[in-house]
Amino acid sequence: MDELELLKKDWKANEEYPKVSYDEIYSMILKRSSSIVKWIFIISLLEFIFWSVIAVFLKDTENMKRFEELDTNAIMIPLAVLGYAILVYFFYLFFRNYKRISATDNAKVLMENILKTRKTVKHYVAFNLIYLVVSVIVVLCIEFKMDQQLISQVNQAAANGEAFKLYAGIIIATLLILVAVIGVLLLFYWLVYGILLKRLNKNYKELKHLNI
Amino acid sequence: MPFLATNSFRTPTKTLNKSLEHNFVELLEEHQNIVHKVCRLYTNDQASHKDLFQEITIQLWKAYPKFRGDSKFSTWMYRVALNTAITLYRKSTRKIKTQEFDTVQFKIKTEEYDQTEEVQLKLMYQAIHELNDIEKALVLLYLEDKNYSEISDTLGISEVNARVKMNRVKKKLKTILNP
Repeated sequence: MDELELLKKDWKANEEYPKVSYDEIYSMILKRSSSIVKWIFIISLLEFIFWSVIAVFLKDTENMKRFEELDTNAIMIPLAVLGYAILVYFFYLFFRNYKRISATDNAKVLMENILKTRKTVKHYVAFNLIYLVVSVIVVLCIEFKMDQQLISQVNQAAANGEAFKLYAGIIIATLLILVAVIGVLLLFYWLVYGILLKRLNKNYKELKHLNI
Repeated sequence: MPFLATNSFRTPTKTLNKSLEHNFVELLEEHQNIVHKVCRLYTNDQASHKDLFQEITIQLWKAYPKFRGDSKFSTWMYRVALNTAITLYRKSTRKIKTQEFDTVQFKIKTEEYDQTEEVQLKLMYQAIHELNDIEKALVLLYLEDKNYSEISDTLGISEVNARVKMNRVKKKLKTILNP
């Protein structure tokens, strides 16, 4: 007999699985899912919360308060409005994509929808990182132009012929902090999503490869 | 009166849910072997089998309101169960030798086969466990006598590609036995 036919015969003959009772099934449907979709949902919500908290937290720091005393509303209010509008937009996209995920779709479509949801959050994070960098540059420019304390420091340094040193120091320090923060965040995302989506990505690649 | 209105709405919904739950649990109890088969291919030990069984049950229940009855319940189950195994389930890290599991949990009926057939089967099951997730899905659908249109529909690949890949998997399994 052909090996595969033998296998099929055995497969069909061996149907002695541990029987799960009505009550056991009933109690199972009351339990919570631990699927990756649920984890992506939770982590995504945490990301939205994280960036909102960061924004609020930064607002309350000493430096920010001093910064707000400067007349910068013309720049900062549009930036803030833009930030919130984009947050709402991403939130809408995220929920729309999340709602589309259905275990009754075929495997490929299901995987695509999960990856789309994840991509929305990825874009949101990328947006936040860019927003962070742009904000820091804007704030730095304003500080150099309007912050009297800093201007007097610069003047003093200029008198000693060390203006360049001061500028370079501030810019390098800011850059280092930015790189460190972004690096840690990216490493975190890479780890979390890497672990969570490793299998999905592998299987999606395999299916995509099959369709070429 | 708002109180009465809410109350009169709530009761039928609750009853509806109860009967929906009851219908679902009964159907699943009857067709549970499909879930077991998927678990058998995708897990290596009893604890993981149970774990995956539970996750598939939850996913089936979540998807049940969308089950329109235009396909057979069993066909629909294969799809959701495979989707859970391939995509949604977070595999546990437990790993036990596949050979042990198959012989422990699903005793191969020795009286029906001669020695060589028994060895062949053992090797086959072992080989299947080494396949990747998509290949396992193909093997399962093959063993369950699903046609290519159903396979292509379940996995989201074209019928031609399903056929090509299936032949490759079959060949792969055969070469393992006849190197």
